[in-house]
Amino acid sequence: MIDGTQVIDFHGHVGRWDPLGMKDDPKLMLHAMDSAGIDKSCVFGIFHPDGTTSNDQAARFIAQHPDRIIGFAYVSPMMPERMIPELTRAIDELKFAAVKLYPPYTLWPFNQPQWHPIYEFANERGLAVLFHTDGGELSRPRYLSEIAPQYPNAKFVAGHAGNLIEPRAEAIAAAQAHPNVYLETCSTYRTPGVIEQLVNEAGADRVLFGSDTPLMDPRPQIGKIITADISDEAKRLILGANARRLLGI
Amino acid sequence: MTSLNFKSKVPVFDANVRVGDLLDEPAPYRDRAGLLAEMDRHGVERALIYHAHAENVSPIEGNNYLEAWLGDDGRTHPQWMMIPTADSLSQIQSLHAEGRVDCVRLFDTGQRDLPFRPWAYDTQLSWLSEARIPVWILLPDADADTLVTTLQAYPDLVSVLVGAHYVHALWLRPMLAALPNAYLELSRYEPICEIEALRDELGPDRLVYGSWYSRYAMGPMLFYLHHTNLTDAELASICAGNLERILQGGTP
Repeated sequence: MIDGTQVIDFHGHVGRWDPLGMKDDPKLMLHAMDSAGIDKSCVFGIFHPDGTTSNDQAARFIAQHPDRIIGFAYVSPMMPERMIPELTRAIDELKFAAVKLYPPYTLWPFNQPQWHPIYEFANERGLAVLFHTDGGELSRPRYLSEIAPQYPNAKFVAGHAGNLIEPRAEAIAAAQAHPNVYLETCSTYRTPGVIEQLVNEAGADRVLFGSDTPLMDPRPQIGKIITADISDEAKRLILGANARRLLGI
Repeated sequence: MTSLNFKSKVPVFDANVRVGDLLDEPAPYRDRAGLLAEMDRHGVERALIYHAHAENVSPIEGNNYLEAWLGDDGRTHPQWMMIPTADSLSQIQSLHAEGRVDCVRLFDTGQRDLPFRPWAYDTQLSWLSEARIPVWILLPDADADTLVTTLQAYPDLVSVLVGAHYVHALWLRPMLAALPNAYLELSRYEPICEIEALRDELGPDRLVYGSWYSRYAMGPMLFYLHHTNLTDAELASICAGNLERILQGGTP
């Protein structure tokens, strides 16, 4: 809680990635959250294309601190026959709140037909879908401008808000054009003025705080929001109010 | 307690600030007053500054451009860029003779395929070591083995390793163990709880706060340091005291 605002981190992982120092030690993750006033973190696994292995791993992690951790469901078009059954299981049985997709671990740009069954599922359920976006051809934020109007009940979130200048402009343009497109803030590029740009060009009601925990400590990532030259009201929306609206909590 | 607004509670001497425009990237501020305004916004008292032109075009000209950013209020402190050429060494030695050099930053010659090896750098590193001038060295494009073996050849040289990232997670502990005179600058080191872990393992004296503004925003890492379990004394050392000691010729 920060100045009365419940804080939700919209972007986190489970699993270990030892060469990069990433470890989903709940003690470390909760210490970082508590130190910065983060109430809840959303997590997902992305390292298993079957979806099930990652989602079960996330579920076991969540079970340790269900009041602090929210699950997002992961599936991949690399195993298309599993996508909808696994999404159904993750949402209905594991009670996950949204969907995470990672195009770089597939063969197809996320505007291609292989992905659309997932969007149809999210549209029917009114779910949020968080994408990894960047400048790579599989992950360009401009694809959001194609899919968002086709699935108006789903909410599409550009993870990293495109990460770099050109894809960030695509992400902002998609958010400007489509009311169901949102921008999430985590990035190892802590470029000056990015948070201000997202707020000024897309609107504070379309920006979500995320950290990429535990790949990155959430404290410098929330520090980007707190130290940005934006209004306190904009900070409250970004830190928690927008996420609560998207997740229905 | 976290608040929607933040300002440092301890004196801050930022160890890594870039001023001026890169040739393909204008800075977010035009002059020294703009830099000071950003520092004031985050509660940063002083900054060690180098010029962008020295980073990607000419260290010698960039050092000349740096002069315009140095006021007489002590808030901006010069860091001169050095490249392994005779002209560059001559410039730095002239500045040193005037008593104006207490650290240098090495130009990344890897971008021109000159490795950081003693056969390429011995003249510069030997002089810096004898003159007890600490050197800032970039990690992002460094070769770990080259860096360690070269610095081990100059055991009295104090170094500050700049820009460690999570991609360097496997490097840092063996590198810092192998280089007892090396400090770690923190502008981009974000693996979870690692600053507290390094404090526990190495002590706070080998960690140095730098923002690398304007490559990165000035506030986030400073905010992070203020929301750890560092004691106030440790925070003060990392945010200013360690850098002051380095510039005075101290060792970890």
